Amino acid sequence: MKKNWWKILAALLLLYTILAGFLIPLKSGIEYVNKDNVNSGADFEVRAYCYNTHFSEVDEIRAWLKIDSSHIIKAKEVKAVGNLMADISFSLPQFLPNNKSHVATLIIDNKKDGYAILPSAIQINQIAFDTILPEENFEYVSSLDNELITINSLSFPYRNILYETIRNLFFHVPLWFGMLIIFLVSMIYSILYLRNKNEIYDMKANAFTQVGILFGILGLVTGAVWARWTWGAWWSFDVKQNMSAIAMLIYIAYSVLRASFDDVEQRSRVSAVYNIFAFSTLIPLLFVIPRLYDSLHPGNGGNPGFGGEDLDDTMRMVFYPSIIAWTLIGVWVAQLTYRYLILKNKLIYNRNNKNRHKN
Amino acid sequence: MPMSIGNQILVLIKKEMVLEWRSKYAIGGIMLYVFSTVFIMYNGFIQIEPHVWNVLFWIVALFISVNALTKSFVSENTQRQLYYYTIAHPLAVIFSKIIYNCILLLILNILCFLVFGLIMGNPVKESGLFFMALTLGSCGLAITFTFISAIANKANNSATLIAILGFPLIIPILVSLIKISASALRLMTDTSVTTDIWTLLIIDVLLLAMTYLLFPFLWRD
Repeated sequence: MKKNWWKILAALLLLYTILAGFLIPLKSGIEYVNKDNVNSGADFEVRAYCYNTHFSEVDEIRAWLKIDSSHIIKAKEVKAVGNLMADISFSLPQFLPNNKSHVATLIIDNKKDGYAILPSAIQINQIAFDTILPEENFEYVSSLDNELITINSLSFPYRNILYETIRNLFFHVPLWFGMLIIFLVSMIYSILYLRNKNEIYDMKANAFTQVGILFGILGLVTGAVWARWTWGAWWSFDVKQNMSAIAMLIYIAYSVLRASFDDVEQRSRVSAVYNIFAFSTLIPLLFVIPRLYDSLHPGNGGNPGFGGEDLDDTMRMVFYPSIIAWTLIGVWVAQLTYRYLILKNKLIYNRNNKNRHKN
Repeated sequence: MPMSIGNQILVLIKKEMVLEWRSKYAIGGIMLYVFSTVFIMYNGFIQIEPHVWNVLFWIVALFISVNALTKSFVSENTQRQLYYYTIAHPLAVIFSKIIYNCILLLILNILCFLVFGLIMGNPVKESGLFFMALTLGSCGLAITFTFISAIANKANNSATLIAILGFPLIIPILVSLIKISASALRLMTDTSVTTDIWTLLIIDVLLLAMTYLLFPFLWRD
């Protein structure tokens, strides 16, 4: 038991990842509004389509249009239409700040769901131009700093393009992390084999590579599921997808290479060389080439990486344990594979010996 | 007197050339393959668009390299290889083969380009860029297939193994090559040609470095 504490840790962390990753709800959010272009001075009503909100369960819903950090317009009236829709009426001033057109952010809050933001929701056009800024008694709200209701319950951030798929962060990303660590360990065993010619290192390298391939394929599959939702297709021949698939093919070729040798020493040596070679191509394929071209993947082709508001403290609370969990599970499976390979070798050895005695 | 590695490489390249010259059927066979493929394609397409020409050219170039280079280790028998290793440094053996294969493949690809131009017309607008793609491509394919055939050499049915090991490595090289030559054909006004050239150079240098580091472990039996 003392020796196997890390296996228990792995299982518990993985259980935690799956439970927390799927059970913690998303924050409420605004999906879109049915009107995105209005003129200054207008009184208008806009319908906001929201996500994960409970409008019919609360007494009061509040809404604001934020033009800039010190000019915020409070809604005249907010009517709930079911749980997920709200009709919001605003009356706009005749002259916007600086006498210019602005793109305003919509903010909604209530006591049950907390606040939700839709950036760049509505374009407000300044229609009347005047060289002299007229004095107008329009009441702006100057700050929402202590105004907005925040709900202190566990929840993942709502992103307009991700929705519930944000949970895939706990599976897709840690699988690739784990795969990299596992392939690195495998390469170190291959180097050790070339230095010491000890058969055990070769078998360990083989076991780790098998698990690495499994993780890579799972990473590709979870990536394709995510891409189906965010990019619109399972496989869109994005450079990141292509290069990952090629990297997997290079590692699958490792298994084929092993299968085509009869001599054990030769097989171990050549596959150790190939394994080091494969790892040295893995890094440019996954991390250099996708950065040089246009890619849809976060962190590549000029895209920002996953971070900032996407990765808040609740996300981190699940994300970091999930990396440890998947890596430890990988090492565990690799250990089992290694033991299986040893048993298989012994079995073949014994059978050969028996046959020899018979003859 | 022991020779330096540089001299050994020169002598071994000369040896490869003499061997190739004595058995002209290898190059003859490849040229026959190019002629018949181009002939079939011409009969099939009649009118060939530049972007089709571009892709067809590189596919034919790929199979030329498979045909020409897979033999580099496989064709020589074990005793003769053992003999080389007793008289020459292993790095001299592999680098002489790589340099020789680069030259051979460049010549074959230029011949292939001439056949294409003769039968299907020449849509290349920027010759300089196209020949740079040809040179870089020949080197990339030659280095990859030489190293792969050194690995596959020891295994059973090595020809199949070369395809399995080599093709994943070849995909990024060919994709960049097709993009570079597409801008040489003025099929697209892409500003990222330098990126493609850098990618090719990075791949080539990486493969050379890995060959330098790993081949000494590979040849010994």
